[in-house]
Amino acid sequence: MTSEPPNSARKVVVHLRATGDAPILKQAKFKIAGTDKFAKVIDFLRRQLHRDTLFVYVNSAFSPNPDELVIDLYNNFGFDGKLVVNYACSMAWG
Amino acid sequence: MDLGSEARKYVWDGAIPLQIHLHESEVTTLPFPPPALILGPRIGYLPLLVSIIKPHFSSTLPPGVDTVWFEYKGLPLKWYIPTGVLFDLLCVEPERPWNLTIHFRGYPSDLSPCEGEESVKWSFINSLKEASYIINGNCKNVMNMSQSDQVDLWRSVMNGNMEGFLRVSSKLKLGAIEEEPKINAISCTIQPRQAIDEKDNTGPSRSGRIPVRLYVRSVGEDLDDLEDAPLVDSFDKIMYINRPVEIQKKEGMFFTLRDAIRTLLPEFFEDEPLVDEQISKIELTDEARTTETNLCHRESENASISSSEVVEKSDKRNTESSHSSNKVDIKLVRIQGIEPRLEIPFSWVVNNLMNPEHYLHICVFVGPPSEQAKTR
Repeated sequence: MTSEPPNSARKVVVHLRATGDAPILKQAKFKIAGTDKFAKVIDFLRRQLHRDTLFVYVNSAFSPNPDELVIDLYNNFGFDGKLVVNYACSMAWG
Repeated sequence: MDLGSEARKYVWDGAIPLQIHLHESEVTTLPFPPPALILGPRIGYLPLLVSIIKPHFSSTLPPGVDTVWFEYKGLPLKWYIPTGVLFDLLCVEPERPWNLTIHFRGYPSDLSPCEGEESVKWSFINSLKEASYIINGNCKNVMNMSQSDQVDLWRSVMNGNMEGFLRVSSKLKLGAIEEEPKINAISCTIQPRQAIDEKDNTGPSRSGRIPVRLYVRSVGEDLDDLEDAPLVDSFDKIMYINRPVEIQKKEGMFFTLRDAIRTLLPEFFEDEPLVDEQISKIELTDEARTTETNLCHRESENASISSSEVVEKSDKRNTESSHSSNKVDIKLVRIQGIEPRLEIPFSWVVNNLMNPEHYLHICVFVGPPSEQAKTR
């Protein structure tokens, strides 16, 4: 069986990468509970960057919906032990 | 790629009869405007109906800017969940017409902002990209789509035009997964399992990752009183799981919907010996192998007993398990408004019942175990 019972209690390392003219954060990596929703990552970025409009992507590819659990995103799209999240102030990938 | 099966066509044509009421706080004229009756396509999204609903209420709205949202019994509805899924999930006992309340003011702060069709399209395309990423390991095909193809694709979803959709989406190379033969026979009539199995020994089907969005909701004790299921007053009460299913080809056997749900929700299957399957396996495969494969993970200490004993044993287990102390049982699985038998090949379910963004949305209702033997 390939589907290991995902342990949602674990913490996930999120690697934040600025795209385009978005400001770079001092701390690019942080840990977040797997049970948190992606919305929490978006909120965190909004607060850090003081911007209401922000485009947040996974793997420079797509914007997950805000309800998706961080652990699901990590299991599906993470690699090298982390989940890469890109953020931009304008739409980067349509 | 075929141009869509009959079942798929039903999904595309499916719609929920909606009776939309304007929230009383937004009614400024008397008498109250009558509710609007409208069909909401299953694969569509509620904000796409606003242009049709608004003229119905516009004369009575208070001054201000529209920020439209929908509510069902106090629960603000997430606009990016397909209408059919919302209905399947929130209306355990299907209510027709489905009574919803529309608001044009006072957008809830905890609901993702929606700017009408543009937001819905954005969400749809991103889900499609996400699904493509799961299927192919990247979403280049979706990202490199020409502007006109993207417009055509979106329009076909908005208008429920399946043929147009399939024409464009076939370019995305997200192809249908290979179906196992004789599937119609299974889904329509109950044939002796042996007969099906004999025809199933064709080459291995592509093993693919299937994008699934799973909604798990707990309901009361019994299937009979579904209408008494506790109201969902917050989406936090619904477990939302995004976990792909890998179709595993087992020799001589279908990978069924049950197998898929077991890989998604292993916690609900922990102690269950999966009775019908074990037994059918025993009936179907040659005896020697059965003894090996079944016993090695179930009862290794008895690995040398004969296969006839195995059957008895699993029978016994069967009876035991229905009284076992599982905390939660799966009461109901609903996909596109139907409650499919869990023995259906998962490939059929995916190819016919997925939504156009290539996600299969599955609603699972769980509750405390009942005394009766397990259903389905």
